[in-house]
Amino acid sequence: MRVIMSKKKYTKDHEWVSIDNDIATVGISNHAQESLGDIVFIELPSVGKSVNAKDEICVVESVKAASDIYAPIDGEIMEVNNSLEGDAAIINQDAENTGWIFKMKVSNPSQYDELMTEDDYKIFLEQ
Amino acid sequence: MPLDIPLKNFHEANGANMVPFAGFNMPINYKPGIINEHKNVRNHSGIFDVSHMGQVLVEATDLHINNLEKYIPLKLNNLRNNKSNYTFLLNQNGGVVDDLIVSLIEINSKSFLYIVYNASRKNEDEKIFFKCAPNAEILHVKNCLFAIQGPESIEVLNNVIELPVDMHFLDIDVLKYKNNLAIVSRSGYTGEDGFEISISIDQAEVFVKDLLKNKNTMLCGLGSRDSLRLEAGLSLYGHELNENITPIEAGLSWALDKDRLNDSTLNGNKILSNQLHNKPSNKKIGLISVSRSMLRDGMNLFDSNKNDIGKITSGCFSPNLNKSIAIGYVNSHFDEEKEIFCEIRNKMELVKKTSLPFVKKNYKKNEGNNE
Repeated sequence: MRVIMSKKKYTKDHEWVSIDNDIATVGISNHAQESLGDIVFIELPSVGKSVNAKDEICVVESVKAASDIYAPIDGEIMEVNNSLEGDAAIINQDAENTGWIFKMKVSNPSQYDELMTEDDYKIFLEQ
Repeated sequence: MPLDIPLKNFHEANGANMVPFAGFNMPINYKPGIINEHKNVRNHSGIFDVSHMGQVLVEATDLHINNLEKYIPLKLNNLRNNKSNYTFLLNQNGGVVDDLIVSLIEINSKSFLYIVYNASRKNEDEKIFFKCAPNAEILHVKNCLFAIQGPESIEVLNNVIELPVDMHFLDIDVLKYKNNLAIVSRSGYTGEDGFEISISIDQAEVFVKDLLKNKNTMLCGLGSRDSLRLEAGLSLYGHELNENITPIEAGLSWALDKDRLNDSTLNGNKILSNQLHNKPSNKKIGLISVSRSMLRDGMNLFDSNKNDIGKITSGCFSPNLNKSIAIGYVNSHFDEEKEIFCEIRNKMELVKKTSLPFVKKNYKKNEGNNE
């Protein structure tokens, strides 16, 4: 078992991931919600689904556009944030906390290490 | 590279999120976001910079009018002074080169057609304008264009420009702002009461700051302008209108002067008159999403047997209905009582057909004048 890791990491597709033992919590970054604008709908992934890193697994719809959410690492979807179904705007208010989208059981923890740290992500956004 | 509008720096300093649109970097929204801007227009008012749009002045001579009547399906000689008219430029097949507002105004006791047209169609339109009137004056290089929209527009604007008391929907007048000419029409494209103001670039920033002294108004971007016009069921060039669609197919035959359809000098007159008496092949409908999914431009529509019956031309989230709404075209033979499905990300979702507009228009019309 891995130790509890509270440090958040980021993908180039603007998802954030935090890992607690072998469960990863995933959402979209605050930067992503800002550029999407008002979010009005989210199609959540199915619980129990096995996914590979970079698979399109759900969709966030803002008034401007639909945006795919990708699996940041390999694993199985364990839980989804059902409160987003009634009020997807929670992501606009609190993208990197209560606006989490799904939790997954991680099958390949080394993939997590390869993701960007918060500082790396900031630099990535400035590029 | 997209062009900048004159007040680019002002918009950025006011928190605009600028995106390329029709060849210009335009504010799509400001800090409050599209939904709040939309609601502010419906409840109070909002200010839109639409300086990307084309504006031209054509001297209203018999020759120019005669030339323009080949493209414009109105009797231009009968236009009333200080009135705006929604109309089109037509190609040889009666297809829409562009949709426009043509107004007859007087500047320094000379009569002009003042025409406002779409930014995305400047090249095509200006070719026609210069062919018809070589001395046409492109006004958008000198003037900005603003729209102030919403039920409180009149209070916001009246504090800045003194408006004539009897100004109604589609009236237009040449007025003064700080000793400069301002062309003011009571119109817009949101379904609300409102005004459009053409004003010299030098005065533009001071003018907008003056408007913003009203505490209930705010700057609004093209994002909310789009959801407002869609709720109002209004057509947008490049979506509901293009060179392959006639005004009749687009459900806009009310904007044609029917007598002109018998006039062989009008482009596409036979096709149009034929369509008016027989059914055109497609009809425009309104759709509302049944699930929470968003309806978007380009999505295909099907009947319950999975036969392709048409497609969506504009879709958005409607802040007033709290659901996704869309405008689309379906085959005229399709039985409107039957179920319609929309293909959304490889899934067939039931959508509800509805009449247009989605939200009732709130124009300030003159009593007894209902067009």
